[in-house]
Amino acid sequence: MTLEPTTLQLKKLVLDKGLCTQCGACHNLCPHYLGHGDRTVVFHDCDKTSGACYEVCPRTPTNLEALRQVMFDPADITAELGALKGLYITRASDPSIRGKAQHGGTVSALIQFALKEGIIEKAVLAGEEEILLPAGRGFSDPERVVDAAGSRFVVSPTVAAFNELAREDIETLGVVATPCQAMALAKMWISEVSRIHEASKKIGLVLGLFCGWAFNWKKLKNLLAEKLELETITRMDIPPSRFHSMIVETRDGRVEISIDELRDCVRPSCNYCFDMTAEFSDISVGSARLPSGWDESRGWNHLIVRTEKGQKLLEMARDAGCIEFHDVPEENLDRLKTAAAGKKREAAARLAQKSGTPGDLLYVPADDPLLRDCLTIP
Amino acid sequence: MNRLSEDNTGKTLLLMGNEAIARGVIESGASVCAGYPGNPSSDIIDALVKESSELGIHVEWFVNEKVALEVAASAAMVGLRGFAAMKQNGLNVASDFLLNLNLSGIRGGLVLAVCDDPSGISSTNEQDSRLFARMGELPLLEPSDFQEAKDMVKEAFDLSETLGLPVIVHSVTRLSHARGNVSLGSIRKSDKTPYFDRSKPFINVPAPARAHLRLKEKMVRCLEIIEKSPFNSYTGPERPELLIITAGAGRFYCEEAIHNLAAENRVGLLNVASTFPLPRDLILKRLALASTVLFVEEGGPFLEEGVKEIYADHVSDLGVLKLLGKSTGELPSTGELNPDLIIDLLSQQLGIQRKKRPGEYQQGLSRAASNLVPARDLAFCAGCPHRATYWAIKKALALDGRDGFVCGDIGCYGMGSGPAGWSQMDTMQAMGSGTGVASGMGLLDSFGLKQPVIAVCGDSTFYHAAIPALINARQHESSFLLLILDNSATAMTGFQPHPGLGKTATGKTAPAVGLEDLCRAIGCPVETVDPYDIGKTTQSILGNLESPGVKVLVLKQTCALVRAKQGLPPSKVKVDQKKCIGDSCGCSRFCTRVFKCPGLIWDAGTGTARIDEAMCTGCGVCVQICPERAIVSEEA
Repeated sequence: MTLEPTTLQLKKLVLDKGLCTQCGACHNLCPHYLGHGDRTVVFHDCDKTSGACYEVCPRTPTNLEALRQVMFDPADITAELGALKGLYITRASDPSIRGKAQHGGTVSALIQFALKEGIIEKAVLAGEEEILLPAGRGFSDPERVVDAAGSRFVVSPTVAAFNELAREDIETLGVVATPCQAMALAKMWISEVSRIHEASKKIGLVLGLFCGWAFNWKKLKNLLAEKLELETITRMDIPPSRFHSMIVETRDGRVEISIDELRDCVRPSCNYCFDMTAEFSDISVGSARLPSGWDESRGWNHLIVRTEKGQKLLEMARDAGCIEFHDVPEENLDRLKTAAAGKKREAAARLAQKSGTPGDLLYVPADDPLLRDCLTIP
Repeated sequence: MNRLSEDNTGKTLLLMGNEAIARGVIESGASVCAGYPGNPSSDIIDALVKESSELGIHVEWFVNEKVALEVAASAAMVGLRGFAAMKQNGLNVASDFLLNLNLSGIRGGLVLAVCDDPSGISSTNEQDSRLFARMGELPLLEPSDFQEAKDMVKEAFDLSETLGLPVIVHSVTRLSHARGNVSLGSIRKSDKTPYFDRSKPFINVPAPARAHLRLKEKMVRCLEIIEKSPFNSYTGPERPELLIITAGAGRFYCEEAIHNLAAENRVGLLNVASTFPLPRDLILKRLALASTVLFVEEGGPFLEEGVKEIYADHVSDLGVLKLLGKSTGELPSTGELNPDLIIDLLSQQLGIQRKKRPGEYQQGLSRAASNLVPARDLAFCAGCPHRATYWAIKKALALDGRDGFVCGDIGCYGMGSGPAGWSQMDTMQAMGSGTGVASGMGLLDSFGLKQPVIAVCGDSTFYHAAIPALINARQHESSFLLLILDNSATAMTGFQPHPGLGKTATGKTAPAVGLEDLCRAIGCPVETVDPYDIGKTTQSILGNLESPGVKVLVLKQTCALVRAKQGLPPSKVKVDQKKCIGDSCGCSRFCTRVFKCPGLIWDAGTGTARIDEAMCTGCGVCVQICPERAIVSEEA
């Protein structure tokens, strides 16, 4: 720890290094940081040499072991996928939820259920601030949850909204979080800063999302604007990698864009992320893979249960009939592990390149036992 | 009672140097007095404004110094007496007119008082204006005390009428703002009816060189008059060990030094009335009786170099002299003089031990000063709209993220270049230059300049100088955002009126020339916001940083001091002591440490912020920046 102000430390370690994921964890904690578009800026330097911002940022040096010990049963931990009590394939029972959702509608269904049952008082989901630019919003009405359905391809600073809502007179909040956001929320659990620790007590449920990468907002906007009218977009999707494309549905028809064109639009910080399945959450959800092909599997989700809380929620939702289940093909677990491990290897290589020292993975402890299992560190 | 218009010859008043100059103008029977505010000259016209109705003279603040001098000259062209006052930069602005008027001449008397600011204590530059007299070949008188400040103005008017030339009276802060006894003279009333004689036009073309020759002839006559001026003086022994040649405020330091060292019978002090033209014969007479000569003057080595020229022409007669001054390094060539410099130098030259304070006294003094006088930055007043403006600029540029910068200008808002405005101003030169430089920056994107450009300009500055730059920007489709900071005041110099305010210096109503109307007439998109609304102002600035062309955003909010003078009841704000989290992570004394309005106090005892009720104007800006929403507005 240096004697520089925390804002300067975060600027050097994260912002200037291009590691910021725009999770929003440092927004709304204090007036020194501002979020705009998909960027975080330091408005003015703080004079404290340690503080909440540093503690919760998912890209400052993170003690992964400590997080696992607090959150999970050691017996459940896998090297590639984090804590895994069970892998399921699910979807929302309600076809109207599925109609609005990206794939199976599992996230919307679970959040709606959790709100209805009073498991959480409010859900922090991604709303839309501007075309293609999301922002976190609080939802207390279960019927309105579907308004926030659908994947976002630009990161939403959802934790900023959590920070704001945590100040309210509220006991439990549920958050739908990308892996970096889930990490920030997890770091709040082990923070020694009292107000952060108080806020963390309000985290009732974290629903993590599988994530490969996200786009830079301006670049995505500019690229799409060349090909179509942005206001006419009704739906966007990125099918499995073998399709090598992104599909954009508009009121005037369907546009297919090659992944090659989109590569330049990827948010650079995503190249340094080692977490494909949002390991630090209660339940993680992504899109399913089935042997019958994408046309069927696109209507289903992969779901990983990680904690007791997550287990209980899934069982209650199943018993209430709002979640449907599909058999999980035998090979799916291994395939997921392979994909997840691949992301870790790529991230490690890029982090070592960025640090300039093999073995220095910046915010990731290179001696973390589970990480080492997945990587070959030179 | 209007003190300066007292018709009471022989009465002694304690007057500021600038007041003495004003009294001199009154006693000279000037009809028209003009200026633009600028320290250290503003008090001259301010004082004359107070007397104008009593005396039936026309005294006004004009849009800039060039126009002010043109107005004063108009009086002199029709046989009346005109007077103009300005600071060194004002002379720069008026110089093109002056350097034509010197050749075309005048009929009535025209006196131009120029007040320099050595060290640039309240200026954007440090400059010795006397060089304009050399360049324009115009008489330059240097009053060296308060009585002379009055009497030499009268001398200047007489000289001006005799020669048919404008005459410059030169002052510096040390004279303009100090006070001394002045014995009043009689007030001359103007009895002339103004008339423009068309048989004698004031035009230099088609042969300015011929007019130049006529000017040179006038200056030969001027030298004859200056040689005999009663304001030249010599004190000291006939053959001094050290001859000091001084002029203007320099004389104060010399007299104090000679007295401090009791060197009256070793040092000769020659004080000249004019440094252009120098009284050559008088100087030669004194040089012949000296071996070592020291030049003491505020500003540059103007007098020094002038005397060296005279010396060079007569070196075979005078022999080798030891010459000391600014150009040889015995005195600093920049910055304002002070008595200690001269006393120390004289003590060294003459080998006289200087009476010094005992060491413990000096140490005790330093200790007391450091305890009782904390170091302070220049700051905006509590409630100043400029604080809010710079906060919004800082925020907008941070959010924009492309390293935008600000071309700045002159006024209270000029302090934005320092901590008061979080250093949100990056260039500052002359009046209106912010807009001018920005209009250039806004053309450089073809070379790859990608940073957004903002210009800031005050309301008074805008009328003074920015309009041509804005026209230029519009014509050349330069891309930048012009922020006009309209606080309805020429605040920095003392709340003199400007064309947008709809009133004159004497308080009469006058047509207001609309600022937004002017910008629209030029063809710029114009928006007006209240800078106290931080959110809206930030969004307006941010929104205007991407579009091409020049855009005008008027940030309109009355100066906090003007509001206070209008007697408008302030509303109140209060810090909720329970909500304030003070020094904790999440705030870290944001309002007192970062925002720094003097209306906010950090109470180390309670560990919270609170409002200084004596200072706070209730503007409500701090209400918007508190992260805990602990500051609330109340009705007054």
